[in-house]
Amino acid sequence: MVRATVRWLASSAALLVVVTALTFVLTSIAPGDAATAILSSQSGSYTPEQVERMRHLLGEDQPLWARYGAWLADLARGSLGTDLFSGQPVTEIIAARLLPSMSLVVGTVLVATLVGTWLGAVSARRGGFVGRLVDVVSLLGFAVPSFWLALVLIELFAVRWRLFPPGGYVDPRDDLGGWLATMTLPVVTLSAGAIAFIAKQTRDAMSDVLAQEYITMLRARGLSERSIVYKHALRNAAIPVVTMLGLTLVSLLSGAVVIEGIFFIPGLGERAVVATGDHNLPVITGIAFCFTLVVVTTNLIVDLAYRALNPRVRHS
Amino acid sequence: MRTGRWRNALTVALVAGLVLAGCARPETDRQGDDRTLTVVSVIAPQTLDPAKTAQNNAWLEQLAYEPLIVRRSDGTLRPGLAESWHYEGDDNTTFVLTLREGVRFSDGSELTAQTVVDHLTYVVEAGGQMAPFLAGNTFTAVDDRTVRITAPAPNPDFPVILTQDYIIGGVIGPAGLADPSILGTTTVGAGPYMLDPAQTVAGDHYTYVPNPHYYDPSAVHWDTVVIRIITNPQSVLNALRTGQADVAVGDPATVTAAEQAGLTVASALFLWSGVVLADRDGTMVPALADVRVRQALNYATDRQAIADALFAGIGSPAHQVTVPDGYGYNESLANAYPYDVDAARELLAQAGYPDGFSLAIVTPQYQQLNLIAQALAQQWAQIGVDLQITDYANANQYAAEAFGGQFPAFMTAFGHIPIWMQGPSLFLPDAAFNPFKNVDPTLQALYDEAARASEAERPERDRAVIEYLTTQAWFVPVVMTGLPYYARDTVSGIRTSAQEPLLSLYEIVPAN
Repeated sequence: MVRATVRWLASSAALLVVVTALTFVLTSIAPGDAATAILSSQSGSYTPEQVERMRHLLGEDQPLWARYGAWLADLARGSLGTDLFSGQPVTEIIAARLLPSMSLVVGTVLVATLVGTWLGAVSARRGGFVGRLVDVVSLLGFAVPSFWLALVLIELFAVRWRLFPPGGYVDPRDDLGGWLATMTLPVVTLSAGAIAFIAKQTRDAMSDVLAQEYITMLRARGLSERSIVYKHALRNAAIPVVTMLGLTLVSLLSGAVVIEGIFFIPGLGERAVVATGDHNLPVITGIAFCFTLVVVTTNLIVDLAYRALNPRVRHS
Repeated sequence: MRTGRWRNALTVALVAGLVLAGCARPETDRQGDDRTLTVVSVIAPQTLDPAKTAQNNAWLEQLAYEPLIVRRSDGTLRPGLAESWHYEGDDNTTFVLTLREGVRFSDGSELTAQTVVDHLTYVVEAGGQMAPFLAGNTFTAVDDRTVRITAPAPNPDFPVILTQDYIIGGVIGPAGLADPSILGTTTVGAGPYMLDPAQTVAGDHYTYVPNPHYYDPSAVHWDTVVIRIITNPQSVLNALRTGQADVAVGDPATVTAAEQAGLTVASALFLWSGVVLADRDGTMVPALADVRVRQALNYATDRQAIADALFAGIGSPAHQVTVPDGYGYNESLANAYPYDVDAARELLAQAGYPDGFSLAIVTPQYQQLNLIAQALAQQWAQIGVDLQITDYANANQYAAEAFGGQFPAFMTAFGHIPIWMQGPSLFLPDAAFNPFKNVDPTLQALYDEAARASEAERPERDRAVIEYLTTQAWFVPVVMTGLPYYARDTVSGIRTSAQEPLLSLYEIVPAN
């Protein structure tokens, strides 16, 4: 157990270093730089001398390894640097936007899990017309562009029927009902595609499990089909589904940026896009660091779920 | 049994969640007695520092930083933090302000003439977008309430520069001037409101609450003002239609939908959109050095077609870098470059480019500038000009490359402003919109004459400047539009005019 923990910590730390170092490298080779971005936003025109002075102020005239080292030193002190334009600490920027992003992502994964596994189980159990109908509905969710679905949902449920707000975000600590209301349409939008993936994965895994001999034995013992499917088979079919859920969550971290824009949710994805265009390196690196932490945490949860679902993994 | 218990628990949770979500009305359909004003801006500020922020962030600044002089919606000026002002002498170089008594900043500190001097000095030193309007000036605190500004050259537009439209007239308090690093994320002003950082998420929404030290409490109409940043035009419209917002900066693409939705739409002609032919010396594209080539591009532009296609009902052809009733507008040049492909080809041939040439251009995506560029590419192809478009969704990236001189031409939307102010921004050697630093002695002389002119003579001098820019074809103005604003019927005071096309937050009051 101790060895596994140490291994996990070491691999997570290595991943964090690789991702943040890559962020530095990629930002430095992208066209433009923060110095010209700041000067053009402030005054529009600037001289080469002003650019050099600004680059010196920002430390951009230092070698890349030195700047990365300085960032790591700040990290050791609990700081992710400050926004190059406003001076706001990156930790504050992330703190303000993490909950909206995670609300969207985790909410989507939860909804997709519940609906996707149910659809997949129904499809595997019933087969025939019902199974094919479930397949078509799932695929529709995958095929429909999320931005189009978002606009349709907003027009119907927000503008015409006034059931939900068209966007924005309410902190659940201030108003739980408001938070649910603002999250409903974006989560439904993002879930549509994820449900299709999970339903398909669940159906395939369930089909394999339901063909196993021990299932035949359970039927022979007189257990109800519902009990066989949901109590015995689903548990064994869940492992590949759990893998899919982990991948879905990770992809949603950055994939939700379009939905964040349409629903004007103050998320990290949207902030990262703006920071990238501005070459705002501290913000970009801080968000990349945060996303990587979410990824390693997700992997840990997935591993723990494997152990809970599969005794063989638990004892290996 | 266990399965049934779990299923029941899940069902209860689902129903409870739906009930909570359905019962909640966080921001929609607010009633008339709600004293929260929500306005939508489409561009997020990179900083809240008044000396460094861009002009399009004026709303975020005017709430907390009342300017020395306030421009009303009809274009007339009224006292702000200054109760009176005048020029000394007749050469427009010395401007004197008398400050209002009893003004305090949001932290309780007093407004004095020295504070104003320190503020103006900081504005110049910070080197922001508006700094050139005050560069080289001397600022003096004559006494505790009197400030004298002495300019090295005539400046007839001090009163306009010091209004809320250009932000820098909004005085920063001593605490902010002592530590400007705090100004990026908080406010230290003497305006009717102040920023509440605890209720603010930078880049998403900015919450303002009343300034307890404001000198005129009767002018504070709202308990809270929220400025929300929404970049998607359809999302802006949805926010208004559902009551999540009261007022918004509109977009030409959604004006018709806004009118159909029953929203108030206020718009006064303000912007000309078109091409800045920056490389007039021919450094990157030799052809642009010839005035005949630049005129040819103007003749090859079917402005009416672009206006009809992209700005139906809200835009009209522009031939000058100003608008009707705007500064320097010449009635005689209203149709300076009628669409004439043959004339364009003839001019190109005379200039030695019968087969045309290639021209790289950079454009942002706001105000449909990228779509105008695409239309121009098709039109100019008829005269052999191959327009190669670089299109940036990130406005800062576009600005860095356009103003950095990386392209011989760039698209822009430019508001009509006084000619004296237009020079340092648009066409003088150090102007941001003149990245190749073109120098033209004739233009400089015309500009200087206008700066020295008396108030009676200035309109004619301004027209001479615009006429020169038009005949020399420094630009290809394509279409002029207003800056539309949308509002719900819960508010009133939504007024703009040709003299003040920018909506002032000071005049917005509850409808009841």
